[in-house]
Amino acid sequence: MTEPLLILIVDDEPQIQRFLGHALTAAGYATAHATTGAEAIAAVARLHPAQVILDLGLPDLDGKAVIERLRLTSDVPIIVLSAQDQEMEKIMALDLGANDFVAKPFGIGELLARMRACLRQSRPVVADVIRQGDLIVDLPGHQATLSDRALHLTPKEFDLLALLAQNPGSVQTHRQLLRQVWGPAHVEDLPYLRVFIGQLRQKIEADPAAPKLILTEPGVGYRWAEGA
Amino acid sequence: MTSDPPLSTARWSAAPRPAGLLIAAAFLGAAATLTALSRAMLPETSGLFLFFAAVLLSATRFGFWVGIASAVAAFVLFNFLFVPPLYTLQIENPADLVALAEFLLVAALTGFLAGRLREEADAAKSRAAVLEVLSDFAADLAHLPDTDALLTLLPRHLSALTKGGAVVLVPRDGALALHAADPATELTAADWQAADRARRRQITEPGVQPGWEGSALTFVPLLHGDTLTAILGHASLDRRSLDLPFRDQAIAIICRQTSLALDRSAFAQAAEQARIAADREALRAALLTSLSHDLRTPLATILGSITTLRELRDTLPAPARIDLELAIEEEAQRLSRYVDNLLHMTRLQSGLTLRPTWVDPGDILTAAITRARRAFPSARISAAGAEALPLIRAEAGLLEQALFNLIDNAVKFSTAPAQVQIASHATETDLTLSVTDQGIGIAPDVMARIFTPFFRADPARTSGSGLGLTICLGIATALGGSLTVESPSSGGTTFHLRLPLPQAAP
Repeated sequence: MTEPLLILIVDDEPQIQRFLGHALTAAGYATAHATTGAEAIAAVARLHPAQVILDLGLPDLDGKAVIERLRLTSDVPIIVLSAQDQEMEKIMALDLGANDFVAKPFGIGELLARMRACLRQSRPVVADVIRQGDLIVDLPGHQATLSDRALHLTPKEFDLLALLAQNPGSVQTHRQLLRQVWGPAHVEDLPYLRVFIGQLRQKIEADPAAPKLILTEPGVGYRWAEGA
Repeated sequence: MTSDPPLSTARWSAAPRPAGLLIAAAFLGAAATLTALSRAMLPETSGLFLFFAAVLLSATRFGFWVGIASAVAAFVLFNFLFVPPLYTLQIENPADLVALAEFLLVAALTGFLAGRLREEADAAKSRAAVLEVLSDFAADLAHLPDTDALLTLLPRHLSALTKGGAVVLVPRDGALALHAADPATELTAADWQAADRARRRQITEPGVQPGWEGSALTFVPLLHGDTLTAILGHASLDRRSLDLPFRDQAIAIICRQTSLALDRSAFAQAAEQARIAADREALRAALLTSLSHDLRTPLATILGSITTLRELRDTLPAPARIDLELAIEEEAQRLSRYVDNLLHMTRLQSGLTLRPTWVDPGDILTAAITRARRAFPSARISAAGAEALPLIRAEAGLLEQALFNLIDNAVKFSTAPAQVQIASHATETDLTLSVTDQGIGIAPDVMARIFTPFFRADPARTSGSGLGLTICLGIATALGGSLTVESPSSGGTTFHLRLPLPQAAP
């Protein structure tokens, strides 16, 4: 039996802490709790949790400020809990270095899935070849095949596909994708991304109108579907 | 109020009045009689002095022209009566012609000087009166509570200056309405037409001279930017009046100062409206924040707990499962309380129509306490003196909500286990229900804001919507009572909910 992973829950609502505590314990994690940003920063330094679940609406510090402070010293995976009307906050939090988000209210299954994706990502398994259903992405060979047929992808399309497929289950913001595929000068060029995502979907999705692989997070970015 | 300033038109050259002439004649008669009587005793020249005296008196009293007339008459009379040949108008001695010239010269000079002096005196008096009007007006400006009152008193000041009528018109629904008049008069059609021209053209509409067709009143529009604030109408000044420019200036000053006062008031009103709009905006923003927070948190807890119960059923230990079920129940109750409060507030804000009935405050108190004990099982809530309270007129649901909110508030700001005492006290006229806690008290700087919607004293440590006390106050007010608070520095807080007792019990 391995030591359970420690999850730090940062939320000022005792009721949220209460159910998350029970749920994460039952799911096999150990939990620690913080109700303010300052407490969270101290707890991360002291306890070195495997992951932080951070509510964006804290009483003392702005959730974004907490992420910024945490990112100075730690690359612990951070999942932010955001409200429906905190769209901008959410995007800014992700761009500041949060790994993923879950919108309140959420089912526990959704949170656990995000947590798993996030934890996996923080301990990357170096795989040269990604398989998902009929799709095979050969990273060193710059080659993708669907149902044993080679796909004709432009270099940018392949880079985009590789970037998405390497992070299954975890959201990639528009800016992150644009920066890594097109370069820092193009982080605002959302239309490029939309066109290329559209082309990729045409080539790899069974039904491009109802994508199963590249999922849209409205207003935020795209998420590669977790292993089907 | 203002004294009556004389409006002097008497110039030194003013035409003589018949009364003046008669009295001057009487003076001469007296002089002639005295001369005749004293002739035997006194030298002839003394008579001349008596006549001089009469002419001087007349000139001083009745002005230039009476003086001249008096001088001529004195000469003729003296010549006729006392200068040989007697009882003729012939002059033997050329020196007597000199006497006539002297008479005329003295009378003219005296009349002129006296007239000028009187003019000066009248003008000074008139100026003093005008200044008094202005000072009264200034006092009004400084002391009157609003521009409405100022406009009401304005015609009196104006009519004191013009010695004629004065009115104040204000724009209302695109037309003009009479706001005040002195003396109280009805405006003629010509007046309304002239006033309306002043309104449309936004320039002063001068009154016509007597005898011409049109309004005798001059209408001065007062503007705030491009907007008409009022129209002052005043009678035209008498063109012959000695201090015309001075009075003209005084009227201009009053118009200008009134306009400035209206400007100030308009600015103040605009600022007040902006403040109200900002308040409303802030309230709406607070409502949204509250809705977003106070609905979402219980919902998130309920949804999270239920999905945990379902998806992790196999690994959840029994105590955790029970706690999750309890959390669901608590949060559902919290949601329900919040919705109750929101509904009450909406009802109170939308101009609540009360449906009061006779209720026993003791029953309602018991209901509120029962509900509170269920919501806060660990709190120790006790009530004293709740038996045999007089019946009141109230809406049971509202009153219970108010009491529950007070208990809720008391529990929230106490360290567990909360101790809450409720005391009831009835006098002839009032029933007071007091909710006391042993909690942390209310800081003086927070005291003023505790009834503000969505205000939360300590959002980091306590949950809640910040609506509870707002609603209590709203309910207390709607029931004709009041809600007050005491929080001594020694700690603990007492809220007094005072309700009026109906004077005729059933």
